[in-house]
Amino acid sequence: MLRLIHLLVVAALVFAAADVYKIKFNSTLQAEKVAKLRAEVRRERDAIAALRATWSELDNPERLQGLAKRHLPLKPVDISQYDALDHLPDRPPQVVPPIETDPIASLLGRDVDATGSLAQARGR
Amino acid sequence: MRPSTSRALVPVPPPPRRRLLHRLLYGRNIDRGAKARARVGLAIIAFAAVYAVIGARLVALAVMHDPHTRRGIGQEAVATARPDILDRNGEILATDVKAPSLFADARKIVDVDEAVELLSATLPDIDSGEARERLASRRGFVWLKREITAKQQSEVHRLGIPSLGFLDENKRVYPNGREVSHVIGHVNIDNQGIAGVERWLDTHGLAALHMAGLATDRLQKPVELALDLRVQHALRDELLQALEKYKAKATAGVVTDVRTGEIVAMVSAPDYNPNNPREALDPTRINRLTTGVYEMGSTFKALTLAMALDSGKVNLNSTFDARMPLRFGKFDIHDFHAQNRVLNVPEIFTYSSNIGAARMALAVGVEQHKAFLRKMGQLTRLRTELPESAEPLVPKRWGELNTITIAFGHGLSVAPLQSVMAVGALANGGRLIPPTFLKRSEEEARALGIQVIKPETSDKMRYLMRLNAEKGTATKADVKGYYVGGKTGTSDKIVGGRYSKTKVLTSFMAIMPADKPRYLLLIMLDEPQATPETHGFTTSGWNAVPTAGKVIARIAPLLGLEPRFDLPPADKLILAAAKDGR
Repeated sequence: MLRLIHLLVVAALVFAAADVYKIKFNSTLQAEKVAKLRAEVRRERDAIAALRATWSELDNPERLQGLAKRHLPLKPVDISQYDALDHLPDRPPQVVPPIETDPIASLLGRDVDATGSLAQARGR
Repeated sequence: MRPSTSRALVPVPPPPRRRLLHRLLYGRNIDRGAKARARVGLAIIAFAAVYAVIGARLVALAVMHDPHTRRGIGQEAVATARPDILDRNGEILATDVKAPSLFADARKIVDVDEAVELLSATLPDIDSGEARERLASRRGFVWLKREITAKQQSEVHRLGIPSLGFLDENKRVYPNGREVSHVIGHVNIDNQGIAGVERWLDTHGLAALHMAGLATDRLQKPVELALDLRVQHALRDELLQALEKYKAKATAGVVTDVRTGEIVAMVSAPDYNPNNPREALDPTRINRLTTGVYEMGSTFKALTLAMALDSGKVNLNSTFDARMPLRFGKFDIHDFHAQNRVLNVPEIFTYSSNIGAARMALAVGVEQHKAFLRKMGQLTRLRTELPESAEPLVPKRWGELNTITIAFGHGLSVAPLQSVMAVGALANGGRLIPPTFLKRSEEEARALGIQVIKPETSDKMRYLMRLNAEKGTATKADVKGYYVGGKTGTSDKIVGGRYSKTKVLTSFMAIMPADKPRYLLLIMLDEPQATPETHGFTTSGWNAVPTAGKVIARIAPLLGLEPRFDLPPADKLILAAAKDGR
């Protein structure tokens, strides 16, 4: 009887030790993973910061103005070119009623959707 | 157990209790069973104690967080992260990037000469003499080169010199360079703010964070300024062009929101590149708007007129005699645009009559004049977020002559930002709001502002300023559509204790739109030269005003001001509306 209890206790002990070892091993693994991820996050964040710095350096108005002056025929906007939205005239009424079927397409008797250009023409 | 055995060898008999224990464990005449139980009991107590210690430690570890376990694997250098600084639209004005720095453990270096030779071949800008000295110092940690590029890092790494190492440090970069130099300020090599908003950050808790070593990560909240980078650029671009065109020594400009006191743009040229802070040491590159004090000239007449109108002793139809120079003691006060007749208040403003302004100030009285300027914040140092600020130069004894000259802006030197604050109060309905570089809402501004003049006086001032743009000295700044109003100023500079006839400081203070002002613009030119285009004139109307016109045409759309055309003249729009409203 006593021997059986001893055996059981020893077995339980071995099992517990194995289990604890497994947990410990797992936790070490997870901790390593967390540390690795954390380092990666930090690296990414640093990279983002560096890229953002570069971006705003490229986006600097002084640089853009220089580039625009050199490469574009554009001029600064004049005040007369600004207007309020409610000064916009109403949309003119549509004089020609939109044609449902494309006359040329029906003449040809072909599937009008076969090419993109015909579909566009009909839409207009 | 050991003490008891050693005690047993001592001939002196141990105390009675010890003796009992001793006898229980080792006594010859004690029953073996009892002795065994006692020994087992002792073992149990010992083991229990050990386990209790282990348990307590476990609990302690679980409850308290060990700070050392959180230190990253990477070699994080000094804890000096700073928050990003953004403009009002979220554009980055200052940010941190990680840069490796090269250090050495000088105790482990094998051949100093070889190391220095190799290093100076790889890093051309390293000071080889200093590097040699440092490497020979036998110290455990010496910096060799701060902030190197990633490419240089890998090259140095490939040299294979023992005892060298790299630390990632936070390096402050200013992607917009010179554009925002005076507002942002800069940091030193240890990432401590030493000027501008950077310094303000340090004095507001960041330095303490650094000391505590807590500011390693970039998780700090970014700081948003009131500055608008686009407006800042437009203002700076136009000012630099003006600097060149009029061959001026320096120029400065500021745009503020008169309703909130926010500074939307501030430029003082020549400026410097905050990425290269050494430039800032040059005294010509100071921030003229806060660090310099100037006699503002006729711009100050706006304050004089506001005081006179607000006192009730003068109204818009009052007249003052400007037929001949005002004689005071041995001084004669002349008018630049002399009319030699009796002028009413709007005429005094638009012709910028010194005599009229002086007579008006005298009519109000010396003490009231002083009190009014104090109320407007012109006699005390103006504090903003920028650490650099200058005390105004106030005459020690303030007599009638001082009041006469100060009435037209001579004899009292103030920081230009200070006068911007005061004129802002004249325009916005009479509330003096301290300027700020940080974002501020209108509610906050309302709580901060102090009513310094009556709203009716503000209406009259806006009318006068608009009138000046319609038919006074500021017509060249009247950009169609924005209803600009303003006051010009030209002051003679003091050279060798005397007012110079040729060296002037011109300024122009513009409000837009004059009927419901939202923004105030100040343009200042230091010693502009006459050009053929200005017909030999150096007064404000020929240089500062046209510059302001160009600036307004560029920044008004950026500020979201809607152009309105065919507006009635000032007397109808501003004065009549003010009368109807009250």
